[in-house]
Amino acid sequence: MAVVSLNAIKRPGSKGHRPPPRFVPDKKMNFRERAIIFVPYVWMILFFLIPFLIIFKISFSVTEIAIPPYSPIITFEEGAMQIILHLENYTNIFTDPDGTYMRSYLKSIQVAAFSTILCLVIGYPIAWALASAKSATRNILFILVIMPSWTSFVVRIYAWMTILKRDGIINDILMTIGVIDTPIQLLQTDLAVYIGIVYCYLPYMVLPLFSALMKVDYSLIEAAQDLGCKPVKTFFQALVPQTKSGIIAGSMLVFIPAIGEYVIPELLGGKDSILIGRILWQEFFNNRDWPLASAVAITMLTVMAIPIIWFFKNQRKGDIR
Amino acid sequence: MNDSISNNASTTVSQGYRNVPGENIYAKQTHLPGERPGQKASPVEQNKKPILEIKGLTKNFSNFTAVNNVDLTIYEGEIFALLGSSGCGKSTLLRMLAGFEHPSDGQIILDGENIVDLPPYKRTLNMMFQSYALFPYMTVRQNIAFGLKQEHLSRDVINERVEKMLKLVHMEEYEDRKPYQLSGGQRQRVALARSLAKEPRLLLLDEPMGALDKKLREQMRLELVDIINSVGVTCLMVTHDQEEAMTMADRIAIMDRGEFVQIGGPREIYENPNCRFSAEFIGSVNMFDCTLTSSNLKHSVISCQDFPLPIELQHDIDIADGMPLSIAMRPEKVYISHEEPKQESNWCSGIVENIAYLGDISIYYVRLPSGRIITATLPNVDRFNVGFPTWDDQVYLSWDPESCIALTF
Amino acid sequence: MFHFKKDTKSLLARVIILTLTLIFLYLPIMTLVVYSFNASKMVTVWTEFSLKWYNALFHNSAIITAVGISLLLAFLSAIASVIIGTLAAFVMVRIRKFSGESAFLLFMTAPMILPEVISGLALLLLFVTLGDLIPVFSDRGLITIWIAHVTFCSAYATVVIRSRFVELDISIEEAAKDLGAGPMKVFFVIILPAIMPAEVAAFLLSFTMSMDDLVITSFVAGPNSTTLPMLIFSSVRRGLSPEINALASVIVLVVSLFAFVSWILTVRKQKRKARNAALVAAARRREAAIHIS
Repeated sequence: MAVVSLNAIKRPGSKGHRPPPRFVPDKKMNFRERAIIFVPYVWMILFFLIPFLIIFKISFSVTEIAIPPYSPIITFEEGAMQIILHLENYTNIFTDPDGTYMRSYLKSIQVAAFSTILCLVIGYPIAWALASAKSATRNILFILVIMPSWTSFVVRIYAWMTILKRDGIINDILMTIGVIDTPIQLLQTDLAVYIGIVYCYLPYMVLPLFSALMKVDYSLIEAAQDLGCKPVKTFFQALVPQTKSGIIAGSMLVFIPAIGEYVIPELLGGKDSILIGRILWQEFFNNRDWPLASAVAITMLTVMAIPIIWFFKNQRKGDIR
Repeated sequence: MNDSISNNASTTVSQGYRNVPGENIYAKQTHLPGERPGQKASPVEQNKKPILEIKGLTKNFSNFTAVNNVDLTIYEGEIFALLGSSGCGKSTLLRMLAGFEHPSDGQIILDGENIVDLPPYKRTLNMMFQSYALFPYMTVRQNIAFGLKQEHLSRDVINERVEKMLKLVHMEEYEDRKPYQLSGGQRQRVALARSLAKEPRLLLLDEPMGALDKKLREQMRLELVDIINSVGVTCLMVTHDQEEAMTMADRIAIMDRGEFVQIGGPREIYENPNCRFSAEFIGSVNMFDCTLTSSNLKHSVISCQDFPLPIELQHDIDIADGMPLSIAMRPEKVYISHEEPKQESNWCSGIVENIAYLGDISIYYVRLPSGRIITATLPNVDRFNVGFPTWDDQVYLSWDPESCIALTF
Repeated sequence: MFHFKKDTKSLLARVIILTLTLIFLYLPIMTLVVYSFNASKMVTVWTEFSLKWYNALFHNSAIITAVGISLLLAFLSAIASVIIGTLAAFVMVRIRKFSGESAFLLFMTAPMILPEVISGLALLLLFVTLGDLIPVFSDRGLITIWIAHVTFCSAYATVVIRSRFVELDISIEEAAKDLGAGPMKVFFVIILPAIMPAEVAAFLLSFTMSMDDLVITSFVAGPNSTTLPMLIFSSVRRGLSPEINALASVIVLVVSLFAFVSWILTVRKQKRKARNAALVAAARRREAAIHIS
């Protein structure tokens, strides 16, 4: 009741009374603050933003035998400035008679999407098992799960090559127990690519899921169960919504880099695992066609625009909290 | 309108609250009965010199005004409390004094110097933070010495001052502990010692008991006041806990929506609230909407639809007859009895609807014939409360003419 | 598995999940280590125990040079990344609103998720373009690799440091200012010790990222700056090589030592926490006793 002696102050729960939230400073930034912003800001504009503008520019030129090996877009002839935009690279990509580019884009998206789903399905139970362990065990388990990603990336792929090849361990075991008579082709298949991506990208899925699961309010789950919710329904209605930001972050951290993955399909994939990362690499290093490589990169960025925006929106929301 | 608030602050000394000129809705108020014997006047005497003067202080944030054109004077040696619910602007005001927020407008004059443009580290005042904000990587001793080290004092002077502070807060045997190895009460004492070590002109306390358990809080209040008094530092505290403000402070300012509602001693603001907000904010109160029937110099008659009989006061009310006003009645000043009073005013009858037994007192919820519920408290002087009214009893409520507070704002 | 926490049924599920996970994660690595002690040149056919591949490894000057280059690069990149990351985290957490704030956020985190082929190509084209103006960029080598590494490592460093920074109680910094410490002093005496664990973590993360990068490095590297991953990649592309197994084992050994140390440190930290909690409890009891008496 309101009338309890002197304590009848209006706000309940005033014990946790906090000072007002940090306010936005209304005064102008001082010199020191400007100086602090300057270093990271300029670094990132110079080495991150400008490079993309350059890629964009070069994607409109054509390859030439010169240094650098592409035609200038802006030329000066008899004092007049000429701007020549070549659209050949883009038309090449979209109207290539073999359809190599378009096929590799679709393949990349397919591989990335399927790998993301695999990582999510495998990573969620792992993250849950980690998050619900006792804190002492959790530390050691956490280090154990993260440790492989501290070792060299190429070495990890190499390890799978030794396991998956014709006389590798898996074929050995399968032949010893008599499941197969002759070695089956594991290396240089799509299966190997999926294994490689899941193996290397799993930590990127597990970490955000883990931190989301650590913040879960378990009383909601208990409440759902208390109200007679079946486990599967509890999972999708009480746990998944609470870990949504972790799911989005983890999925995007796998999906976006996986689209452009080069090393894994190169080492584990077959001749038909032509993903877009490989195309870009080949155009650049083998064919030295920088403009076409740039156009491939710009097209790839366009494909990824939506997931990237989604990722950042999700991150921002997490910031505001 | 805020000019009158500044008047309030400075005129309190001589005049109290009754003859405040100006248009301030809060300050303009009815005439109240004279001070009763024993009620001490504002503890600030006229010859004390002001240590802090705030003039027209305003803080606008992008979408609201946290502090609106506030004036305040604080005198040497007093403990002053800013009291208000969260979001009333008291913390922003404190942060402006400490230098963590820059005012949009106005002056802060400490010892005759306008410190508005000084950064926090150049102000001669120190703050004790609500979370205590002890430096986690430093020991108790290092925490207390931190401020002194910034002044580049000699090691001997620092050690001597730190010893003094440790002794003052009885933390000598914990000097090598880290803050996270201390209990809440000990942390508070270290925080206090740290903020007193520099011998500030003004000590700011931000919710000093906010981080303590309720039990410990009551104990620490008196201890804190003892320490502050023994050092003799002037103190400005911010709190949302009225008990804390009333036990610790010499003067209290009630704040609401960035403005001062009332400034005065604890007794003054409890017994003589100047508006409905003050009356309802401090303690509990029964508030009735009434109409003034008649008023002359020594006698006012008020009618209220909740009471069949009129309410009579023994002073005049400075509004026209027939105008609405509110009557505030503290529950402890309402007498409850089985016997019908003899007088012709200032009582009513009702049915006991509920009783809340709190141990030291019981709160009676009495339903009037009009349907309104009035609360009255009875001290439980008898262990078995023999003869006390009980549920569904017909009871009579009465009050002294001096107990009612007429409020026109 | 949805009986969360303290449930024997879910304990079993957790043990199974984690066992399978650890097998999946460690089986490939363990295979590498085992076969590094194999005498046969056939990587997967066991003959007898031998250390000859280690011997070969330590006499392979190309690998030694590459390791040196990689370590140097990783060290320098990590230092620069931690500095930039600290500044960026400070901007994000303590300065906040300024024009271009959301662009800043984007720049600081985008290098983390963009496919490496794109980042690598972008940086190379930048260096080629700038090469005409600034001679430093014209011949590609350690400096261009360093810049590239700092660009993506500082994104990671920012995220790590920022996540610790946001947990800091701003009133501790305010208290220091209130007691007379200027902004620089507040940063070095109050903020830096508090974010030190994150600084170390960011340094180590940047170090491993830089050590490990292949794709971006390949784009911006010059002829005389072959890093370790580039060397491993080219030899792996040529076929399996037992020397790489030995190298991998050395890497695994270093990393596990490292993991062990970090585990010891967390255990010690937990013990310290428990001791502090005991001290606080004792102080509380005493306080309560005093107040009753």
